[in-house]
Amino acid sequence: MSFSRMLDRKGALRISLMGAAVLGLLHSAPASAQSEGLYGPVADNAVMGGRLNMGLLVEPPGLDPFHQAADARIRVSVLMYQGLFYEAPSGTAEPLLAESYEVSDDGLTYTIKVRQGVKFHTGADMTAEDVAYSYNYIRDPENGSPGAGDFAIITDITAVDATTVEIKLSTPNASLPMTLGNKYGAVVPAGTFDDENARNLMNAQSVGTGPFKLAEFVPNSHIVLDKNEEYWEQGMPYLDGVDFAILPNSASMLVALRNQRVDLVALSRPQDVQQVEGVEGLEIERWPSLGQASIDLGSETKPLDDVRVRQAISLAVDKSEVMQASIGDFGTVLGTVPAGLQEQWGLPLDQVPMQGPDNEKAKALLAEAGMTDGVTMTLTTINGYDWMDAAAVTLREQLGEIGVTLDIQKVDLGVWINNFRSSQMGFTFNDWATQPDPNLLFYRHFHKKPEGADFRNWANDEASALLDEGRAEADPAKRREIYNEFQTILAETVPTIMLFSPDHITVRSARVQNYVQHPTGWYYGLARTYLSE
Amino acid sequence: MGAYLVKRLAASLLTALLASMLVFLLVRLVPGDVVAQMMGQAGGEAAAGAMREFFGLDQPVYVQYFRWLTQVLQGDLGTSWTRGLPVTMLIGQAFLVTLEIGLLTLFVATVVGVPLGIVAGIYEDGPLDTFIQSINVVGLSAPVFWVGLMLLVGVSSMFAWSPPLRYVPPARSLADNLSILALPIASLAFLQIAAYSQFVRQNVVSALHQEYVRTAVAKGVPVRTIFFKHILRNVLIPIVTFMGLILIQILGGVVIIESLFALPGLGRLLLTAIETRDYPVLQGALLIVVVAAMVVNLVVDLAYRLIDPRVRVS
Amino acid sequence: MTDLSHPRRFGAVGSLTRRFRAEPGLVIGTALLAVIAVVAAFPGLFASASPFSVDVGASMLPPSAEHWFGTDDVGRDLYARVIHGTRVTLSICAGSLFISALIGGTLGLVSGYFGGWADQILGRLIDVLLSFPPIILGVIITGVLGPATVNLILALSVVYMPVFFRIARAGALGEKEKTYVEAARSMGISEPAVLGRHVTRNVMPLILTQYMILFPLILQIQAALGFLGLGVQPPVPDWGAILEQGKDYILYAPWMSVFPGLAVLVTSLSLILVGRALQKRIDQR
Repeated sequence: MSFSRMLDRKGALRISLMGAAVLGLLHSAPASAQSEGLYGPVADNAVMGGRLNMGLLVEPPGLDPFHQAADARIRVSVLMYQGLFYEAPSGTAEPLLAESYEVSDDGLTYTIKVRQGVKFHTGADMTAEDVAYSYNYIRDPENGSPGAGDFAIITDITAVDATTVEIKLSTPNASLPMTLGNKYGAVVPAGTFDDENARNLMNAQSVGTGPFKLAEFVPNSHIVLDKNEEYWEQGMPYLDGVDFAILPNSASMLVALRNQRVDLVALSRPQDVQQVEGVEGLEIERWPSLGQASIDLGSETKPLDDVRVRQAISLAVDKSEVMQASIGDFGTVLGTVPAGLQEQWGLPLDQVPMQGPDNEKAKALLAEAGMTDGVTMTLTTINGYDWMDAAAVTLREQLGEIGVTLDIQKVDLGVWINNFRSSQMGFTFNDWATQPDPNLLFYRHFHKKPEGADFRNWANDEASALLDEGRAEADPAKRREIYNEFQTILAETVPTIMLFSPDHITVRSARVQNYVQHPTGWYYGLARTYLSE
Repeated sequence: MGAYLVKRLAASLLTALLASMLVFLLVRLVPGDVVAQMMGQAGGEAAAGAMREFFGLDQPVYVQYFRWLTQVLQGDLGTSWTRGLPVTMLIGQAFLVTLEIGLLTLFVATVVGVPLGIVAGIYEDGPLDTFIQSINVVGLSAPVFWVGLMLLVGVSSMFAWSPPLRYVPPARSLADNLSILALPIASLAFLQIAAYSQFVRQNVVSALHQEYVRTAVAKGVPVRTIFFKHILRNVLIPIVTFMGLILIQILGGVVIIESLFALPGLGRLLLTAIETRDYPVLQGALLIVVVAAMVVNLVVDLAYRLIDPRVRVS
Repeated sequence: MTDLSHPRRFGAVGSLTRRFRAEPGLVIGTALLAVIAVVAAFPGLFASASPFSVDVGASMLPPSAEHWFGTDDVGRDLYARVIHGTRVTLSICAGSLFISALIGGTLGLVSGYFGGWADQILGRLIDVLLSFPPIILGVIITGVLGPATVNLILALSVVYMPVFFRIARAGALGEKEKTYVEAARSMGISEPAVLGRHVTRNVMPLILTQYMILFPLILQIQAALGFLGLGVQPPVPDWGAILEQGKDYILYAPWMSVFPGLAVLVTSLSLILVGRALQKRIDQR
């Protein structure tokens, strides 16, 4: 049975509308009323107590928010650790441990009022001192945080008094609040890392301010979180705790779901839905995502240094067929931003240049580049990313049509990341996610060196100037215009081809209520989830 | 015996040392380390350099090796680079799980495999023997992970049951523990029962063909006496060796079964350590695997000597 | 066994029947193996569909007259993939095992025949390799070096090299005391020539038998590594790799797992049957 027929039968439209409706709710939530906007909707008559069993397909390699970049870590650690702001799905940064903030007229000084009455899991009260310590720790590259680069524009952080922190920047940055979110780092007690062993201890006990505390982490087996009884949001969280069971393969996870061994799972591959569809007592929901599956084209690799070759490839790709093969209908075909950003920041899809499939034009471009006899290239895929296998064989067929022969090479994640970070990625699939902000999405990846990392050796002056402009601009409408111009250049000169955003798919048992999946894929929603019965 | 033991131990130690060196070198020769993974796509070079220094990865390999070896000789296997927990603790937990699976599988395989083998041997070339042998060949041919997968799905769809997710040690609840381990053990045992009964059958057959057994049969000695006095004895001694062999084989098979059934054993610890390039855990876990295999071999050897004093130091 | 004195009375069929009665395993095994070998040599004769052509619209179709084994997640014909996978899988196994036999066997012969310090060192190194359970050795090598056909072959050749080394060494040790070696020496034939010509010829049957016995085992390890995602690169059809892709669809499309698994099983089975018969001959000698 094909994906499309499956969907007609099961009425997936209803499911997708449901996801959209929930997201719409978040959109309209007033930014000031934090108790409604944070993490998900507040439930009207929530049942207190109970423990939720959640299945994890990917195990967090560690739980340290300062030194571990893995997305699997962030998904869980956001429940225990909090930053100054919360990255609302709408694309605004809402105060979290911050209470309010002011920006100076030159845009270089942020004065942040810190929330009162917040206690760490250690029992100590949180002060401005702790905030300054935590962010000063993470922005110093000597401390080895993968997030350090994001904070490079900060020149100084000081605690002015017990409740006020002042942050000075070297250049205006409209997305600073989003940077002070929950991806890297968090507010922890001042002096935490004076203990040599502190980063190890984070896998045994949490020292954050979040709604849940770490009770136990047994690698390859389970993670137990208990409710933080002294959590600063009144009446939250509803659950007494969350038990994460780690199951490394979909087959076992789906069997466990069917037999009610887990209450909630975020499936890593949307097509797994078919295998649990129609099972009584299981609810399937789809949510838009900030993740993206893409093809990267590094200009250091011949013949990708020729823009015409890159354009030809872009024109030959049939994005929706690649998506069909990779994840069925469970996603959104992209233009130049991930699905979750399209409405707010994306270049309208009908205006994106160099979109295919247009094999005639692609062949003409290749011929112009002197490649009339065809050309062979190596496409890199990453071991463990299931969608890439299916996408690779599909892309191989598609590019074959214009005389490009693909050799597929699968490499380990560590090897791939090394190549990527040293800008030696060549022709590769990529799978990455962003916070809901165009500056955080584009700057590091696409600004020329040394300000950006320019992983794809794009070295585009015009685009870099636009990125600088967009970062400094505070007015949303003007900002959008700048980024639209940037996206046009991006699509025109093809350093990357964004293919699709796979939907987040959650499967829950009927007793799980009020869980909303955040578009980042992180499990914020558990802070608002309760169990009926 | 004492001198032999000392010599064996010394040789084993040397082998373990060389094995640890081999693994240490192998993992460091290839690109992609733990820091790359911790940094992800976003991490900067300065931060990555700081982390390499933190883990001592900026040092020459021989310096790293001697640091590690000095630690190991003091009984300290270091700290996991990703999990932040002591390697001895991680291995200790994982080893108990694997050991339990191994011993239970061995038990099941012995209890089922030995009688099957004896029956097959006694009725050599009869229909019963042919039947048992046919099943055996299938058991030996089916990939262990495939059997596991089929069992998992088969049991789930027939009985709407699947094993509980979180491993429970037998000390906490034996019933829960066994319900978690039932399917993994069944998948492993299928192969080992076949191997076992095949082996036992061969020994029974060769015993039956011995001159003195034939003579005894000819003299009209009761079958029961022949069986207990001659055959069983002939079969039991090789079984001890075979048990060791099987145990080591199970140790290998467990790697795949543990990931299929999500059991927190040594095999899965090893696999995740390879995936995340968590060198201290990888080196520690492999050292334990090598030492465990050696201990099994040594014990088998000694047991063999105790049972059969005719065996002398070769 | 009296009818053996009239071997030609019933012609070829008759002798085959008698063979079958005497050694049914050998006959069944050889017959199956012959079929498998033909499939591996000429996969195109058995499967007309391409093992590579993607048809997203026809993904995960159950077995039917058109797709005997069904289709996979991107709509490739599974029957074609399993049939073409025969050559890939078996040549990787046969090749790796050949490398082990060649290197392990040669080192073993030299080591056993000449002895001395080289023998000591080699013996020690072989002990190191033997100290790892075979599949774990395979997992470390492919896991650390990364998934690629070359690494897979490397790993598989290392796994059973010690076994060949030991057999060849023991064989050479046994042969070198024999009278014909003494005789050759006294006739002034050089040591390498004695080793190369005479000793090797006598040790060869042992190595060949071992090759057959280890073949099903290496097949199992190859499939297991593929299942762990440590095998060949896509889109190469390899049984282990097909199993790896199929395992995540086991509830929805079990045929993706069942058929490649059966292929491993049947091949393994025929290899075991033939290996056993060979072993029996050697033992009787």
